[in-house]
Amino acid sequence: MGKLIAIIKREYIERVRTKWFAIATLLGPIMFLALTVLPILFVSRTVATSASSNITIIDATGAGLGARVVAEMKDTSATPPLVTVVAASQVAAAESLATTAIMGEQRQGYLVLDSATMGGTQARYTGRNTSTVPDMRRIGIAVERAVLAGRLEREGVTAARIDSLTNVDIRLEKTQLSSKGREKSGVGTSIVGLMMSFLLYMVLLLYGQTVLRSVIEEKTTRVAEVVISSVRAEILMAGKIIGIGAVAMTQLLVWIASSAWIATTLVPKLVSRNAASGATDAQNAARSSELLASLPSFSIGAIVAILLFFVLGYVFYASLYAAVGSTVNSESEAQQASTPVAMFLIVSAVFIQPVALAPQSTLAVAMSMLPFSAPIMMPMRMSMIAVPGWQIGVSLLGMAAACVGAVWLSARIYRVGLLMYGKRPTLRELVKWLRYA
Amino acid sequence: MSELAIDIRGVTKRYAEHVAVHDLSLQVPRGAVYGLLGPNGAGKTSTIRMILDIIAPDQGTITLFGQKHTDAGVLDRVGYLPEERGLYKKMKVRDVLKFLAELKGVPGADAELRIDVWMDRMSLKTADKDWGESKVDELSRGMQQKVQFIGTLLHDPDLVILDEPFSGLDPINAQALKDTVVELKGRGKTVIFSTHIMDNAEKLCDSVCIIAHGEKVLDGAVSDVKAAHAGRTVAVSFDGAPSTAVEAVLRDRTLISSLDDQNRFLELELADGATSGELLRQLVAAGASLQRFERVQPSLHRIFLEKVGATGVEAGMSGHG
Repeated sequence: MGKLIAIIKREYIERVRTKWFAIATLLGPIMFLALTVLPILFVSRTVATSASSNITIIDATGAGLGARVVAEMKDTSATPPLVTVVAASQVAAAESLATTAIMGEQRQGYLVLDSATMGGTQARYTGRNTSTVPDMRRIGIAVERAVLAGRLEREGVTAARIDSLTNVDIRLEKTQLSSKGREKSGVGTSIVGLMMSFLLYMVLLLYGQTVLRSVIEEKTTRVAEVVISSVRAEILMAGKIIGIGAVAMTQLLVWIASSAWIATTLVPKLVSRNAASGATDAQNAARSSELLASLPSFSIGAIVAILLFFVLGYVFYASLYAAVGSTVNSESEAQQASTPVAMFLIVSAVFIQPVALAPQSTLAVAMSMLPFSAPIMMPMRMSMIAVPGWQIGVSLLGMAAACVGAVWLSARIYRVGLLMYGKRPTLRELVKWLRYA
Repeated sequence: MSELAIDIRGVTKRYAEHVAVHDLSLQVPRGAVYGLLGPNGAGKTSTIRMILDIIAPDQGTITLFGQKHTDAGVLDRVGYLPEERGLYKKMKVRDVLKFLAELKGVPGADAELRIDVWMDRMSLKTADKDWGESKVDELSRGMQQKVQFIGTLLHDPDLVILDEPFSGLDPINAQALKDTVVELKGRGKTVIFSTHIMDNAEKLCDSVCIIAHGEKVLDGAVSDVKAAHAGRTVAVSFDGAPSTAVEAVLRDRTLISSLDDQNRFLELELADGATSGELLRQLVAAGASLQRFERVQPSLHRIFLEKVGATGVEAGMSGHG
């Protein structure tokens, strides 16, 4: 037992100390930040910014529409719109003055309200932010409401009534209806599902190959023989797989913890700062929290199941990689020899998207049951839909059986391969090795 | 407590294509320096690997210090230096040694103390440089060999197995290894080494076992082995080149069974029924001007060649190979 721990400790410490580990561990959260915060910032971008109120309003209606528009914009920023009331004939002069203000970067743009606006057909906007959809929408809505309010007032409706009548802000809440019934919808669920499956794929591939390289290192430097004169080859293999697995787990935990911090602390902070600078912070916050709320929530049982899938998947692939490593004499040979193992992973990765698009399909069910793809597919499906418990159970049992098989097979190949130098064994020779005991 | 450090009985190891070791039995007494001799491919390394439970024998039993070699803790008393040597290149020397010690059940703190002593002794730790803090691949080849010795001996094993220990060693490290073997014997440890270089074995070993084709050819104390073959070997040298008449005597198969030219003298093996007196008489009669005529104890090397024969020696291996 002490020897197993010594091997685990060596594998763990020597790897965690490397630059590669530090870089990869740091890159994870940065990737997560890029994948989550940017979309959220884009979401908040769909709400107009304070810049949209920093405009000149040229009011040539003679009916005080400019003042109404300002009121409708409900502006609280430091640079409220400036209303210039002019006669219809002076619009051109006012426009050239407003243009100077834009060129001088004092204002974002100018809005021209005239008789056509009063007629309910047209208003003109010129400015730097004409391509910013939310800004244009905000100004447009304010003008529509101002015109509407003006008409209601002429019909004798009181100002207070107008306010309550026109105060409409509809948010469209979406619920996806599938054959399984109501499910929480939205980007959050599929982003998390996809990210999780890609993460699992990457970790299985990277750390499987780490096991491979570690075996080759011991074989080519001939340390292996000294080590297995002290412990059984099976213990060395187990210690190696556990030690490197612990490194993978450490990295995953750092990634998950930092991502959780980003999602729960950093993102709301960023969103609220973004909102504070804008006019419609309530809307902003609402939209961001909507996105956060659409992230799937996992029960403890589901988290344990997902961890189990990861652990079993890792043991399955790591032991196969260890067996491959023991049969080769150099890293370049390993590239070729490990292709069959890598193919299992790559095939699984190829099907991530089809399965994500139709997590209920027969393909998805099959891929999440097959031991080689289950550790990638099942957690993804679990984050998207409610997977029946029996499917999870069967999948886990199948994986456990596959792991036992892979470990048994690999341990035998490993034990013999570690001491064999020279030509790579053929498949027929490998079968012979299994009988050496 | 068993008197034997190693007791191998009827061990056989078969591979798909060939039999590596066939029905081998050998006993190594405690405190002995024991040579396992044989040409390349004779089954030395397979035997050693079976002793160390790296591979399992198909038949037979192996007992170390009176216990089954697979029993827990038994192999912790064994130190092993394989023929092909290597260390973790990217690890610090001290960490590698500590790891190797831990694999033999030496606790970390204890290992640290022992590493200090050994590093000092092998002059890997001097006033101006502590190589223990360097990575293995920063060390010269000679220094790496020293680290490897330390790794073999750090847990103070009762049985040390050295597989072709002198191959690739520079003269300084070869001397250090020889001194270490003598010192280990002085402390009552058992040392086994396998080699095909007979001179080393002859100088260092108390007992030897010669194996070829996976089978034991002979074994016993070096002095006994040599005594058993004594009286049949004669060293002869001449003033100047021998004459044709003398050459004819040397080619007489009824007199001399084999002849080995050692450059400065000839080592002759008397044929069955021939005596050294008869040989001397014939040489004198042929007019040889003898510089030396001496009955000698045969070298282990000669015994080895005689016993194993040309068939037991791989092509290309001759003389002191």
